[in-house]
Amino acid sequence: MRLVTASSANGVCTITLSDPARRNALGSLLFEQLESAVGDAHAMAERRELIAVRLCACGPAFCAGFNLQECVDDPHTLAGFVLRLSSLTRALRAMPAVVVAQVHGPALAGGCAIVASCDIVCASEQATFGYPVHRIGVSPAVSLPTLMGSAGCGGARVLTLSGEIVDAQRAAVLGLVHRIAPDEPSLNALVGELLEELRSKGPQALRETKAWLNAIDGTGPAGQFGAAADRVASATAALCTEVESRTLLADAWRRRARTP
Amino acid sequence: MDELVSLSVNAGCATITLARPQARNALSFELIHALAKVIRDVAARVAAEPDTIRVVVVAGNGKSFCAGMDLKAVLHDPVRMGEMLQQLSLSLLALRQLPVPTIARVQGAAIGGGCGLVVVCDFAVTHPEAKLGYPEVDLGVCPAVVAPWLIKKIGAGPARAMLLLGGTLCGTDALTRGLVTHCVEAAQLDGTVADLAARLMTGGVNAIACTKRFLNELDGSDDESIARAAAELSARVIASPEAQAHLQRHFQIAPPSQPRT
Repeated sequence: MRLVTASSANGVCTITLSDPARRNALGSLLFEQLESAVGDAHAMAERRELIAVRLCACGPAFCAGFNLQECVDDPHTLAGFVLRLSSLTRALRAMPAVVVAQVHGPALAGGCAIVASCDIVCASEQATFGYPVHRIGVSPAVSLPTLMGSAGCGGARVLTLSGEIVDAQRAAVLGLVHRIAPDEPSLNALVGELLEELRSKGPQALRETKAWLNAIDGTGPAGQFGAAADRVASATAALCTEVESRTLLADAWRRRARTP
Repeated sequence: MDELVSLSVNAGCATITLARPQARNALSFELIHALAKVIRDVAARVAAEPDTIRVVVVAGNGKSFCAGMDLKAVLHDPVRMGEMLQQLSLSLLALRQLPVPTIARVQGAAIGGGCGLVVVCDFAVTHPEAKLGYPEVDLGVCPAVVAPWLIKKIGAGPARAMLLLGGTLCGTDALTRGLVTHCVEAAQLDGTVADLAARLMTGGVNAIACTKRFLNELDGSDDESIARAAAELSARVIASPEAQAHLQRHFQIAPPSQPRT
C-alpha cells in the first residue's frame, strides 16, 4: 500500500503524504515510506539532480502526528516513533536541496515537527500548527533543535510548553510560516511559483547557502544540533515507556474510542 | 581623489557617509577600505572620549544608500575579491561592536552587502519605495557574510527563507519582516533619524554601552571566526564556475580569455 508518493521533474522532487483516511498519521508504514522517499531525494540531490524538495499532503490534514493506534498496546512502538521522527527532521535539514513545505491543513505534533525542519514553509489559511502532546504524556522536545531555529527561542518555548494550536497567521508571526495563501488552490499555485523562482537561482549557491545557514544557526551536524538532538531524542523516547505516558496514552485512547 | 567615505560629528552624533553616488555607493575595494578606516576612527574616538560620540548614523550620498558589492571590477581577480570580502566582513563586525547605538539611514536601495550594513545597525530608517534585500542566490553568489547578521535581526527561520529565496523587498515589507525598525515618507527620513538619534542620546552613556556590549555577547555578535569563515566561503562561491557564469551574464561582460585545451 502506498502511503507516501514521490515523483521528480525539472529538478524538484515532490513527496506527498497520501493516507487521508488517517490524516497522514505517522505510523510504521508511513514512516518507512517517508524515510525512503527522503533518502532517495537526498541521493538525487547529492547527484545534483535536485534543486528543491516539495513536501505536501492529501486529505483533510497535512499530518496529524503519530498513529497512536499502533502505540497503545506497545509503548516501545511510541518510543521508536520518537527516534524516527528525530532522524527524519535531521534528514530534512541536512538535505542538500531547499525543502519547501506546502501545508494546507492541520500539521500537529510530529506533523508540526516535520514542518519546522523545512527551509521554507508555505501555508493556506486553513493550516494549523502545534504540539498538543502533553495530554498523552509525550514531550515534543525532538522538534526543538529545528523549531528553535525556525520560530526563535521565544516562539519555540510558547508552542512546545503550551500545546496551543495556532493558525497560519499566528504561525507566521512566530516565524514558523513564511508565505500564506488564502486557500488550497492558491497555495498550490504559490508553491509552484516559488519553485519556479528557485530554479532560476544558482544551484550551488543555494546548496552552499543552506549548508552555511545550518552551520551558523546551530542545525548542522557538526554543531550542537548533532549531539543535542541525539540526547533529546533518547531522553524523550525513554519517557514513552514510563508509567505516566502509558497511562495518559491509554486514557486518551479510551476517551477517543468512546467519542462517536 | 575625493573621499569615498566621510565622517562628520555634530553634537554627539557621528555620521558615516558613503560618498560614491555615481556608482550608487557600490562597495568597491577602495570604498570598503575607506569605510573600515572611518569605523576604526570612530571606535578610537569613542574609546578615548566617550562623550564626544554618542550615536552613529550610517548614510549614503545620492539616490541610493548602497547598491551592494562592486563585483564587476574584481570578477577576475579572486585574491582581491577575497580581501575585499574579508575587509567588509570585519568592518560589519567592527560597526556592530561600537559601544554606541547605530542607525542606518536608508534611501533608494540597500542590496546584498549594502543591506548587510542595514541589519548590522541597531536601528534602520527607510521609506516605502526603497528596495532592500539579498538577491545573492539569484546571481549564483552565497550571502554568507550577511547571513549571521540577518539571523540575529529577524530570526533563523525567516532569515533562511529570505536568503534562499533571494530577491528584494520594498521598504514597507522590510518593516513588516523586521529588516528595518522605521519606515517613513522619504521627505521625513532626516527628521526621523534626527529624532531617533536625539532620543538615543538622552540615556546614560555607560548604561547604553553596557547594554549594547551585553546584547552583542548574548547574540554571538563578537565571533570574529564566523566573520572570517563567512568571507572565505563567499569568496570561494564567487570564484566557482557557476557564479562566474551568472555574474558574467549579469554584467554582460566576456569571460577572461583562456587558452583552449
